[in-house]
Amino acid sequence: MACSQFINSIHEMVDGTIGSIRRAELEMHLAQCDDCRALLEDLRKIHDAAAALPVIEAPDRAWLQIAGRLRQEGRITEHVPAAGAKRRSVAVWLAAAAAIVIAAGTALVMLVPRTPPATQTAGTPAGTAAPAPSVEEVQTKVDAAQAQFETAIAELEKVAKANQQALDPGTSATIEKNLNILDDAIAQNRVAVKAEPTSVAARETLFEALRQKVTLLQDTISLINEMRKGNNAAAAQLVNKS
Amino acid sequence: MATSKVTAHPSAVPAGGPRTAELELVERCRNGELGAFEELYRTHSGRLYSLAVRMLGNPADAEDLLQEIFLSAHRKLDSYRGEAALGTWLYRLAMNQILDHVRSRAARSGQLTDGLDDASLLADASGHRLADRAIDRIDLERAMLELPEGCRAAFVLHDVEGLEHKEVSDVLGIAEGTSKSQVHKARLRLRGLLQRRSQ
Repeated sequence: MACSQFINSIHEMVDGTIGSIRRAELEMHLAQCDDCRALLEDLRKIHDAAAALPVIEAPDRAWLQIAGRLRQEGRITEHVPAAGAKRRSVAVWLAAAAAIVIAAGTALVMLVPRTPPATQTAGTPAGTAAPAPSVEEVQTKVDAAQAQFETAIAELEKVAKANQQALDPGTSATIEKNLNILDDAIAQNRVAVKAEPTSVAARETLFEALRQKVTLLQDTISLINEMRKGNNAAAAQLVNKS
Repeated sequence: MATSKVTAHPSAVPAGGPRTAELELVERCRNGELGAFEELYRTHSGRLYSLAVRMLGNPADAEDLLQEIFLSAHRKLDSYRGEAALGTWLYRLAMNQILDHVRSRAARSGQLTDGLDDASLLADASGHRLADRAIDRIDLERAMLELPEGCRAAFVLHDVEGLEHKEVSDVLGIAEGTSKSQVHKARLRLRGLLQRRSQ
């Protein structure tokens, strides 16, 4: 029989679902066919490697965005730190920098809601309706949020630059190029906000550019971390993501 | 294409009995406690994100979908009664959203059972031999991204997630024979791709 007639049997052998008669026929063929023996061995390797693939952790920013959306939609009534929550093991300096980013992100979400609050479902405590703040109060909070973003960016830039030698020159150049693009966008948006200080859209665009810069810097630091730990799988995920 | 929905995952069979800790956690989430929902997220996000990345073949889409999955889960927590383990409930919810995404993308680009040419795969499979060393998981992940969507979905569900062909066919709304064919084609294509990477 031609080898092509045994392909399905080889897959069934890999899956462990082959019947005894087909198995006996296949084994007779394998005894005299090097190519089919190699195919069986390789498909087993692929099957076993696929079954053993590790969990890929989601980027840190995914949770921040979920938390922001929940707050925006009025589905959070308090902020209580997760007791006993599993935390990803990252370097202390990254955790410190991220804390600043979380604080800035929280302020932004409170100030620039993008969607109307969701209708409260039965049994869900309603969010407390605060009186509308004055323009001056909003401006002060916007300035504070912007300052927090800028502090976070400065901290992240310091860390990224000090450790950039861990990256290959090509990756480093791409990151640098993207940071320059974001810097240009931030500068242009600052001019727009200055021209129209009361425009929510202008502020939102500026904050989006700032947020993107924070994200890029966080990814850069995560990449450096993973490269240093020799975790090539996680590094590849980050590179694919960017 | 059928629009079957996922009902369970074989590796997450409900254990039965009270799930006091999970129900307490869910209750805290329902009460709007962000820390409780973060705990739920930290426990389950890795597995669901991995599934989404591998099924969609795109980390950016997977990240967006992960957010939608957990936001949807938060909205639907009122319907969680503890009949199934929380992980099973979330897996089911995630898989349905991932499949909706895959189906809508397949509807735009062609069909979910898009195939690989049998003759070229058999030619690809002959004479190629992987090196004696174990398969590098990064190489495998990258090679999986090169599979056509239908092949990749069936391969991920069967070989990575461990579903049986009958379950894969139910989930994807395809015939059981098609599931087998897609997985077989995926393995042969992966062999060719991995062999080229190891040269």
